[in-house]
Amino acid sequence: MPRYLIRRLGQAVLVVAGVIVLTFAIMRLVPGDPAVAYAGPKATAAELAQARQRFGLDDPLPVQLWNYVRDLLGGDWGTSLHTRQPVRDDLLQAFPASLELVGAALIIALVVGIPLGIAAARYKGRLPDLSVRLSSMLAVSVPVFWLALALQTVFASGLGWLPVAGEYDASLDRTSPLHLFTNITAVDALITGNWPILTSTLAHLVLPALVIAAYPAGVVAQMTRAALIDESARDHARLERALGFGETAVLTRFALRPALNPVLSLIALVFAYSIVNGFLVEAVFNWPGLGRYAADSIRSLDTPAIAGVTLLVAVLYVVANLAVDLLQGVVDPRVRAR
Amino acid sequence: MRWHKRLLAAGAVAAVTVTAAACSGGQVRGAADSGPQPGSSAGSAGGTADNTFVYVPNLDVVTDWDPASSYSNENIAMENIYESLTRYNPQAKKAEPRLAASWTSSSDGKQWTFKLREGAKFHTGKPVDAAAAKAAIERTMKEGQGAAYIWGAVKKIEAKDATTLEFTLKYPAPLDLIASAGYASYVYDTTAASGDLKKWFGEGHDAGSGPYTIDSWQKGKETELTLKAFDGYWGGWDGQHYKKIAYRVTPELTTAWQLLQRGEVSFVQRLNAQLFAQAGSTDTVQTSQTPSFQNLLVLFNTAAGPLEDVKLRQALQKAIDYDGLVAAMKGAGVAASGLVPEGLLGNIPGSTPKQDLAGAEALLKEAGYGPGGKQLDLTLTYAQGDADQELLVTLLSSALDKLNVKLSAKPLQWTTQWDQGKAKDPSKRQDIFVMYWFPDYADAYSWFINVFHGEKDVQFNLSYLKDAAIDKEIDELPALTATDKAAAEKAYADLQNTIINEQAAVAVPYVQNYQRAYAKSIQGYVDNPAYPNVVFVYDLKPGA
Repeated sequence: MPRYLIRRLGQAVLVVAGVIVLTFAIMRLVPGDPAVAYAGPKATAAELAQARQRFGLDDPLPVQLWNYVRDLLGGDWGTSLHTRQPVRDDLLQAFPASLELVGAALIIALVVGIPLGIAAARYKGRLPDLSVRLSSMLAVSVPVFWLALALQTVFASGLGWLPVAGEYDASLDRTSPLHLFTNITAVDALITGNWPILTSTLAHLVLPALVIAAYPAGVVAQMTRAALIDESARDHARLERALGFGETAVLTRFALRPALNPVLSLIALVFAYSIVNGFLVEAVFNWPGLGRYAADSIRSLDTPAIAGVTLLVAVLYVVANLAVDLLQGVVDPRVRAR
Repeated sequence: MRWHKRLLAAGAVAAVTVTAAACSGGQVRGAADSGPQPGSSAGSAGGTADNTFVYVPNLDVVTDWDPASSYSNENIAMENIYESLTRYNPQAKKAEPRLAASWTSSSDGKQWTFKLREGAKFHTGKPVDAAAAKAAIERTMKEGQGAAYIWGAVKKIEAKDATTLEFTLKYPAPLDLIASAGYASYVYDTTAASGDLKKWFGEGHDAGSGPYTIDSWQKGKETELTLKAFDGYWGGWDGQHYKKIAYRVTPELTTAWQLLQRGEVSFVQRLNAQLFAQAGSTDTVQTSQTPSFQNLLVLFNTAAGPLEDVKLRQALQKAIDYDGLVAAMKGAGVAASGLVPEGLLGNIPGSTPKQDLAGAEALLKEAGYGPGGKQLDLTLTYAQGDADQELLVTLLSSALDKLNVKLSAKPLQWTTQWDQGKAKDPSKRQDIFVMYWFPDYADAYSWFINVFHGEKDVQFNLSYLKDAAIDKEIDELPALTATDKAAAEKAYADLQNTIINEQAAVAVPYVQNYQRAYAKSIQGYVDNPAYPNVVFVYDLKPGA
């Protein structure tokens, strides 16, 4: 196991290093002068020169790359040209909100997707199965942006059941100030017993989380169904049936546990995907996460911020992949031997 | 490992991730500790029931809190926190009193004396006197960032007494207009911080004298900024006023519209044509449209390439479908009349251009091109992602196609477009450069000195016009504006005639139009194009 762990960690480090070089290259290849983006379109030549010096833009490219890597390793992800703040601080501010949203979405995906998968496997080839397959296909294929606008228009603006946008009612900042520990609003509200903010956050979470949950819920339902059907055809299932267990019991008591293995692995990968998939949803629902930060950065050609978001997302993918691989290695010794 | 143990492991990974995200242990979000506040809510019921005005911007509000260097979207808040000596009135086309109650200038326009109003106080409690105003403007000049260049004419500032501020200029300039600028003109308390003032500002403090002061600022949050009434404001709080302002950042226009419709916000900065039309027919919402001071310039390369020939430039001016473009923009733009937008000294009403394809064809023929003649190949660059510019390019390409002119149009990021326009080698420059222009203070001089005055190294003169007579006339404009408005008006009209009609260096297809939507209950809203997107909330009256 230690050799396997070292090998996988080494591969992950290589991938991250590759991403860093690629991110740097993109930053420098994107047309336009970052000094102009920082100093403004009407900046004088002296102001532009000052900005160039500040960001080391006059140095040779290899020197700039070395400085970039050195700064990254030292925790300096550069300065945003738009917010004028350290990119790392901006990301630490925005990421917890995205984590909160995607975390809620994945919980919904599991709570909805697994029972639907079980139902579909239990009634394979019949109406419930057909309904689940159709709805999960729809959930996977519907564009999130469209779904976000549709749910917002119907349930928030039209029926008024849920808030239109935002993370929670901002007026609560005055009446129920929130003590921050993790910077994840719902978690902090729960930890500190701040019920007004917790209930408001949960209400605001429903629609955007449902939209982001659509894709993983569909995938989880389909994968659970397929894994359960596969599992229920194995020898142990036949034995269980011979012992008198009903079909539902065979599926939920015996087949479900092994069938959930691939589903859990999938969730780790879907997590990183959902962070990016959620960018548009965050924009529609005014969710103060990475999506809004990324959109603002792109709009203002803020290359250090764009690079920061790219790097963070890439690291998330790598970490999620690594976690899955290590988990599978723990579960299945054959993986380690490959 | 058993099933539930694996789940436990996954839980542990999640916990580690959550912990990694933790970055602010012990902080408190909210401003309950900042003392009793006027109003109680920052985001409900159209902002009127609880005396909070909720403004919906599309972009983050604050980039730079320093009033000396601030040069971005934060002007929508800064103009409610800080005050300058004067404020521009686009209806009267002149500056009006703000912190200065009155002012006079010498006959040569080089000496300006401002009398400050008595009783004005900074939010720090210190009085707004001439010494403080001098210190603030001198600090802004010294910082030399953002729009600080507006004070370039100033040679010396003297505080003659507590309320008398005297400026001596290097050359004549309309200092009353300069002092009304939307950026870099603020008067603030330079002694507000015990240490580094810039750092202190950056932490979200203010040292203004305006009707509102910073209540809370949460960078990156949806309600990024709230302002509260400054009790000691010189204008007083008698009568009906909003006591709080909240800035709720909403990039998505549909979401902004839904928030307004539900009465959760008071004012939406921008909507698209479809939503704006919907807003116009919604009972609980009112709308306003005001031409801005920002117009689109189509700059022709007068120095190199085929467009060196003035006949071809005039042909291109005639080929633009001005009316069709404005109609297709569905209210986002209005027809331009000359180079100077309406509301500024120098605007020439009744000079709206019209498409004249027959005239264009005749001019092309005279130059040896046009249908049946040689094909004319032209390059054009414009801003990537700007739908209105894209529309212009589409209409122009289609019109030129009929005239045997092949337009090769490239959408570019501003910095790339600008770099190409500034290329040292004239052969690498474009034939047509499309860009917006707006003044940093309400003075038409900005267009002429920046865009049409000869330059040693190209900056914004992207038509590359170089004409000593024009330069001389441009150089005389500030003095005329400062001393003889009627003569300035005539000089502006003459210059526009020369640049647009005789030199044909530019075509002005439209002026951008501000389209606002806001709660029906709000009274007294007037859009002031000299301060883009700013709502002077103190001037509004919250309705029932």
